[in-house]
Amino acid sequence: MNPRKDLITIDSLSDEDIRTILDSTSAMKEIFTKSVKKVPALKGKSVLTLFYEPSTRTRSSFEVAAHRLSADVTTFTVSTSSVVKGESVHDTIDTLMSMKMDYIIVRHKNSGIPAVIARHCKASVINAGDGAHAHPSQAFLDAFTIREKYGDVAGKRVVIIGDILHSRVARSTSTILRRLGADVAYMGPGPLVPQEQHTGIPRFTDWEQVFRWKPDVIYLLRVQNERMDTPFFPRGDYHQAFGVTEERLRRIDDLNLSIMHPGPVNRGVEICDAAMDYRNCLINNQVENGIAARMSILYHLTPQTQNND
Amino acid sequence: MTDTYITNAIWALNGAELDLRMGQNGESPLTLFVDDIPLTGVCEVAPAGQMPIPSGARVINAEGKLLLPALFDLHAKIEIAGCSKRESIYRNGQAAIQGGVWGMLVMPTPGFCFDNAYTLDSFADAVTQRSAATMIPAGCITEGMEGSQQTPYNTLAARGVSILCDAEHVTDNLLMLHRAMKYAAELGLTFAIRGDVPALTRNTYMHPGSTSYKLGLHGTPACAEEIGLETIIRLAADTGAKLHVQTVSTAAGVNIIRRAKESGMKGLTAEVALHHLLYTHEDVADYDTTFKTVPPLREQTDCDALLQGVKDGTIDCIVTDHTPCIPFAKKQDFVSAPQGMVALDTFLQAIYTQLVKPGKLTWKDVVRACCTNPARIANPYDQEEDTPVVAPLLLFDPNTEFTVTEAMMNCGTTNTPLLGRTLYGGITLPLC
Repeated sequence: MNPRKDLITIDSLSDEDIRTILDSTSAMKEIFTKSVKKVPALKGKSVLTLFYEPSTRTRSSFEVAAHRLSADVTTFTVSTSSVVKGESVHDTIDTLMSMKMDYIIVRHKNSGIPAVIARHCKASVINAGDGAHAHPSQAFLDAFTIREKYGDVAGKRVVIIGDILHSRVARSTSTILRRLGADVAYMGPGPLVPQEQHTGIPRFTDWEQVFRWKPDVIYLLRVQNERMDTPFFPRGDYHQAFGVTEERLRRIDDLNLSIMHPGPVNRGVEICDAAMDYRNCLINNQVENGIAARMSILYHLTPQTQNND
Repeated sequence: MTDTYITNAIWALNGAELDLRMGQNGESPLTLFVDDIPLTGVCEVAPAGQMPIPSGARVINAEGKLLLPALFDLHAKIEIAGCSKRESIYRNGQAAIQGGVWGMLVMPTPGFCFDNAYTLDSFADAVTQRSAATMIPAGCITEGMEGSQQTPYNTLAARGVSILCDAEHVTDNLLMLHRAMKYAAELGLTFAIRGDVPALTRNTYMHPGSTSYKLGLHGTPACAEEIGLETIIRLAADTGAKLHVQTVSTAAGVNIIRRAKESGMKGLTAEVALHHLLYTHEDVADYDTTFKTVPPLREQTDCDALLQGVKDGTIDCIVTDHTPCIPFAKKQDFVSAPQGMVALDTFLQAIYTQLVKPGKLTWKDVVRACCTNPARIANPYDQEEDTPVVAPLLLFDPNTEFTVTEAMMNCGTTNTPLLGRTLYGGITLPLC
């Protein structure tokens, strides 16, 4: 694949880029089985994680990925930094670039911030989630997890359930899955599922429509209460109307469907306890594959911070 | 002073009345005797070659050029962050003249907060000293544009304020607004307000649609403008206040205004920003902050309805909604970047290139929507001379072609989608 500096969205990637990153995710995952889980691919490179929003799994997943590629990882803690004193993103990045970082992994509550940073600096910028815009590394680990489970993504039917409106995961994962030949549908409370004419993705608002559509994978999203200044739906309804209840889990089991979730999970809201232990629950696979996918992403980006060495 | 004659210009002026023969077949070039500026009412007109021109007079040969009244812009912000007020006034005055605009209604901004006599007086002084264009302040509706306490309307009116506006801030305190309108109606003041419901548009950044979905940005529902319009129109009708609707952006909004006018409501006028006639939400593309505006750019069907509204007179004026934003501010992400475009520098040239040349508007529409109507609504008045101020004339050469560059932007900022674009139109203003 052609040298690529940044990973901001799935849309910006060629089919070849997507295939290459997915293929080498398998190779990266093999490293995990070795007694020494580390390769020197990024030895001497500096990776910075710059998270303006709280995150546990994405941040640690990127950090583990960078460590396994032998990179040096620095964590920029926003809550104790000058950012809370009102420093602009541009000035923060200028400061950090003076420290000669090669990769910046950024998460921000505003859509579009990683693209602004990428234009502004020579380091490779990886979008680890910006507002409701994009979360491309999640898309790669999801596509890889489905491919691992079924052998191929093409022809599979994936229904993404929950708060689509605020979800960068829904946008990025639906994009990569459709690029790879899968069918995607959205389901959730009416105000949280955008119109099909805007998304090009079928829109359901109840489980019966979902089952009739014959999905292979049930992809659950968390209701992002922290992004809702005014309630979008009656708070008591969610689990019964849109969650995987025990009754629905039995149907899912009968039909041999898989369950995925980007985490963190709210038990009793989008998913019942029993579903977490369901035989086709791929949530832990997603976490493991996340590290491999992020290693592959780091490996395939080319920062412009050095002179062709 | 040397007498000035304009020969071979296309257009006719007869006394104070404009004879809009422009663009029709059979028009004949004219000779005008230009006494002084302002011209209207004092110039003599004769068919080309029939007026004797004394030797020694200054003669402008306007062959191939159009003569028309200069434009008046009813909606401009002139505060430039990081610039002194005097420099902001100077730069935007230069920008206006370059774009064929002789005068403008200046919206209040934090730096030009026209809610007291002192600010108005110092502004008037600075404009006299610094601005090449006429600048008329729009007084604030409420102190600090905060939407709670009315400003001293009597004091503002005594200083020549005839239009009240809180810029883009729309209040949700309808009781305050109702009382303000009742009071100000007695003084003959006009309220300039945008149709909006703040609760519906808070934390929204663009028109809801495929682009807002792709970019993960919350959409500004069109119904907020519709509800807001219905509300302010009914408040105005009830109180008898004159209402000027600012920056309509939706097709449904145009229909609401059309219905109100058809029902016989007096004192209702409306404007559209030039960018709402030209661009859609799809132009935002990949977070292009140049296209971040309030209200947002909408669909092509809305552009078409707004244009139709201009043509049939539902919308009285086309305005710049000129909003200087410094480059750093617009380089931020779409959510953080300020809204607005600058348009004064290229106003008439852009209108000609993008609307008149492609046949979407006639010169007659342009003169009505950009010269006569806005000047009538703002009613510029010279307090010292105690006379109305009349628009000067300009010459427009449609064959002049140029590329918009940063250096050309007199207003001092470059937040316009026209950079690098080719426009047509050479403007001579003032004529002498």
